[in-house]
Amino acid sequence: MDKKLFKKSNKIEKITFIFDFIAIAIYISLFLILFGMLELPEIVDGSMNLDILQFMEPTYYFLNATLDKLEMNTIISLVILFTLVSLPLLLINIKKVRTRTIYEIDSYTASSKFVQAVINLLSLNVVSAGLRIYNMFVLVKFVKGYSAKEFFKSIFPAVKAYFKKIFKKKKVEDLGDLDEYSVSIKQSIRRQNTSFIIRILFTYLFLITVAIVIIVPFYWMVLTSLKDFSGATLANPKLYISISQMNWVNYKVVLTALEFGLYIKNTVIVALFSTGGTIITTVLAAYAFARIEFKGREVLFSILIMTMMIPGELYIITNFITVSKNGFGWVGMATGENNYFIAMIIPFVTSISYIFFLRQSFKQIPESLYKAARVDGCSDFKFLTRVMVPIASPTIFTITILNVFSSWNAYIWPRIITGVGGQEGQKYWLISNALRDTAFVQDNGRVMYNLQIAASALVTVPLLVVFFLFRKYIMNGIGRSGTKG
Amino acid sequence: MELRLENLTKIFTNKTGAETTAVSELDIVIESGTLVGLLGPSGCGKSTTLFMIAGLEKPTGGKIFFGDDDVTKLAPEKRGIGLVFQNYALYPHMTVYNNILFPLENLDVPRTEAIQRVKEMANLVGIGELLDRKPSQLSGGQQQRVAIARALVKKPRVLLLDEPLSNLDARLRLQMREEIKRIQRETGITTIFVTHDQEEAMSISDKMVVLDFGIEQQYASPQSMYNNPDNIFVAKFLGNPPINTFEAEVKKGHLMINEHKFMKFDVPDGLYDVGMRPENFRATEEGFKIAIKDIFHIGRDTMIHFDFNGSNIRALVDSDNIEKGQKFVHLTIKSERVYIFDKKTGEVVNHG
Amino acid sequence: MADFIKNTKKFFAKVKQSIKNFFWNIRRILNNGKRRIGKFLDKHNLNFASKFPGWAKALVYLSPALIVLSIFTFWPIINSFALVVYENYNMTSNTITGYTLFGNFITVITDESFIVPASHTGSSAVINTLIIVFISVPISVLLALFISAALNSIKPLKSFFQTIFFLPYVTNTIAIGLVFAYMFKTDGGLINQLLSFVGVDTAGLSWVESGAVYWRSMFVLIFYSIWASLAFKIMVFLTSIQGIDKQYYQAAAIDATPKGRIFTKITVPLISPMIFYILVTSVIGAFKIYNSIVALFGVTGAPSGVDYNLQSIVMYIYQFIDGSNAGSLSVAAAGSLILFAIILVLTLVQMQVSKKRVHY
Repeated sequence: MDKKLFKKSNKIEKITFIFDFIAIAIYISLFLILFGMLELPEIVDGSMNLDILQFMEPTYYFLNATLDKLEMNTIISLVILFTLVSLPLLLINIKKVRTRTIYEIDSYTASSKFVQAVINLLSLNVVSAGLRIYNMFVLVKFVKGYSAKEFFKSIFPAVKAYFKKIFKKKKVEDLGDLDEYSVSIKQSIRRQNTSFIIRILFTYLFLITVAIVIIVPFYWMVLTSLKDFSGATLANPKLYISISQMNWVNYKVVLTALEFGLYIKNTVIVALFSTGGTIITTVLAAYAFARIEFKGREVLFSILIMTMMIPGELYIITNFITVSKNGFGWVGMATGENNYFIAMIIPFVTSISYIFFLRQSFKQIPESLYKAARVDGCSDFKFLTRVMVPIASPTIFTITILNVFSSWNAYIWPRIITGVGGQEGQKYWLISNALRDTAFVQDNGRVMYNLQIAASALVTVPLLVVFFLFRKYIMNGIGRSGTKG
Repeated sequence: MELRLENLTKIFTNKTGAETTAVSELDIVIESGTLVGLLGPSGCGKSTTLFMIAGLEKPTGGKIFFGDDDVTKLAPEKRGIGLVFQNYALYPHMTVYNNILFPLENLDVPRTEAIQRVKEMANLVGIGELLDRKPSQLSGGQQQRVAIARALVKKPRVLLLDEPLSNLDARLRLQMREEIKRIQRETGITTIFVTHDQEEAMSISDKMVVLDFGIEQQYASPQSMYNNPDNIFVAKFLGNPPINTFEAEVKKGHLMINEHKFMKFDVPDGLYDVGMRPENFRATEEGFKIAIKDIFHIGRDTMIHFDFNGSNIRALVDSDNIEKGQKFVHLTIKSERVYIFDKKTGEVVNHG
Repeated sequence: MADFIKNTKKFFAKVKQSIKNFFWNIRRILNNGKRRIGKFLDKHNLNFASKFPGWAKALVYLSPALIVLSIFTFWPIINSFALVVYENYNMTSNTITGYTLFGNFITVITDESFIVPASHTGSSAVINTLIIVFISVPISVLLALFISAALNSIKPLKSFFQTIFFLPYVTNTIAIGLVFAYMFKTDGGLINQLLSFVGVDTAGLSWVESGAVYWRSMFVLIFYSIWASLAFKIMVFLTSIQGIDKQYYQAAAIDATPKGRIFTKITVPLISPMIFYILVTSVIGAFKIYNSIVALFGVTGAPSGVDYNLQSIVMYIYQFIDGSNAGSLSVAAAGSLILFAIILVLTLVQMQVSKKRVHY
């Protein structure tokens, strides 16, 4: 084990990150510039004429080059593809460099560096590719002790040996000498192996089938969102499209002309504030139920648990009255006097099921920690913020995720309260309402499925990004929680 | 600093209103700088006593004095105590360094001094190199040391240890026992040590208190308690292998065993509980002849089983004095090593 | 260069230390202040904080949650019992014309599209909901069980499959519902295209558009609700299967238990509390189905131009919440109380069953 080489390899990797990062920044800014250049149909009488979207043939001038529609689509698609490849690569590597110890390096690490270098090369990031190749040689030296020259020399014999091993004929077993018992054992082992292989085969077949059923809607969503109008309404839709046919302009139309930018912003605001509020109220309440001894604690808690059984539909009726004119007057007032955000956030800043969930994990924290903190002169509030919350942070994170997801999914409550607001209420739609109630139609009444599906993809992608960033935490948290909504 | 408990009583009331007395009228004076072991079987109220001294439990009656101050109603953080828990109670999300620093955050200490103190304490307990680790990356013994350092970093007036060694394996327990004694001597801090292990208490304490059902049985130094137990409970609780007890009659000033006169005692006639420690028997040429029922050779010592008044008695004698296949043996025991207890009260009648 | 790096590192360390010092000193000052106030209060016997009973302290921690809950949870529960006895409640003028004990319940129960299949629609909210519950829940629970058992038995690609199966959980119900509706389109839908590949005549084969028969659109709805709910169940089952002690399986392997029996006799019984829990929650969830129907068929709950509709109970309730018609909120309240009663009965029944069936 040469510690120096390990350190050197890590240093090279860290330098590579800088170039990876620069490359990703270039991709993203390139995407933003090109996406901003995409030409939209003219606005006539205050609304965009979307019928002509697919017949437009704009030309773009970028860095002294003239690009037509197809070339533009190709470039944007490539830039997005490069980002999608490089970003996870960077994140995975950062995590690995942080956690990897000297004992985990093997020849697999070196070969994965080579694969990564090829990916870098394909995404036109030559510097990172070069550095990764160099790093691979360092790792090879670390693992095998070969220098670069010796490494190339060693490849040929290794390949030869590998093929030799494959083509070497298996010895035919002679069962003649063996007694009956040994033969039966041999046969039973063989039978076992066959049944094992068949079982594994069926298991994978089953899982792959289910996976395809799960994946197809996502694939179809992304595919359709990039087609043009006639492509999306063909009687026999294409199952794939070439990268020059990807109409990224669909997304721009959805974001700007159809105001999905505004709706996403609304949803983010509601999600942030209601989640923040929920965390604060539930942490405090769960602490009271888990640690503070007071008369009637169990009674109060069982009342809360019982209300969990009552369907939320029951609340909505009265809550609608409460936030309306005769109650708090947040909605249903004259234009300009309404507070749609407050009406959408305040009723959802606490949740009994989260209090219950959090109390469970607070209760698991040993009592002796509390006693130790008391002896150290730690107040209740300080104990909560400095000890309980950090220890229960996985649960709090799960609650955050669940709450953000449910805000992202909220449909009926925003629909009811923005429904009474007419034109003004429409400005406060959340994405679910917008998806359902925006008219994605042409002047002749035909539905523009490509735009509708692009909007769907647009609201799905942020969730997927969050999911892939925190994949492990989310899946573990949901598995443990056993609660949804 | 001297620590005084006056009539300390704790009664727990459960939901149905039934009362259980955990500690009953405890009267103890703990001299400054001593290490006192609080010993008793589980559920005898020793941890409750400790938590009352710490201020985590409110006493039902009685008073607690630190020196001349009555601290009975004082909040735990104002008492100036350090507490070490059975499961160490280290904050799992903080490093060792932050764990030890945490108590100082609430005191009026400049940061440079606080850091200095953390390092000093860590070196005193021998974990100077582990400051960057999380508790989960430490062994049980190391966690124990961190817990002690965290308790001592405040420079407390009293150090309280609640069964600190029971989560360790046997070898480590011996080592930590000596370590705690060393740290206590170096710092000279008044220490109370709760345990249910009599051997541990005897080896570590300057003085010990034996509790049973919340009642103080005896308060003395380990050796004198061993040699002169006040009652049958203390006698039974101390010593391994445990003391032999059996019923015997005293007739005309003589203790009768197997219907023979065994030894002369100056106690009134009647039926008594008699206690004899196995290790106090000696195998000699003359003495009481007994038939060996069973024999176990344990290296240096030999354990002999025999009958006294129908009870199975064990004697631990030197292996050299026993030959293989021996059927009978002569045993003697000094009269001051025979304990005669009153049958009703359990009090010793032939000692002090 | 190396010196430069070292110096910058030192500099940052110093900055870090001084920031930490700063916060430490602030804490010290605050603590000192607190101590002084405490001493002052102690001196004048004013320190009520230490004499506060437990509930006073608890109230401070509970009040944010309790205030919100009492306005938006407890009050609505009480108020809905008031609403159902109002006659012609008008929420804009806040007036009623009288009281009725069962009038609103009778309105709901005798309503043509609630329980009784209406003559012009041929379906009712309760029947639709029951069909959805009794078909989608058993299928999805069983499927999730099989998938999680299969996932647990493999090693390579396990987390890959796990991730894929989890995807439906992290989506917007309406968004994917629209995609499903698009996939089941009559002309140019993916499903019809695939069916025609295998030789089915798909001309005019409607699923979610005009011309779709009841069971076909119901199939799409159930298929979508299973697709969307599978992820959560798989995750929960997988977590509990992984929590089973390996010793049971080792013991079973030595006793030569066949794989199928291991599944039915060890895995299923050991996670039966979780299966039961999932069963209860998903039945309740399926009873409240709403978003999926809206996504697939719009707020009317029916493909355009058909003579039935796929309204669920919740959908039936929501159509009365617009506040324009006098008395409509009372009908909604009556409907939701009926829904509550149904859910309550189901929960109680399942609890009784579980006492006998669930191990441990």
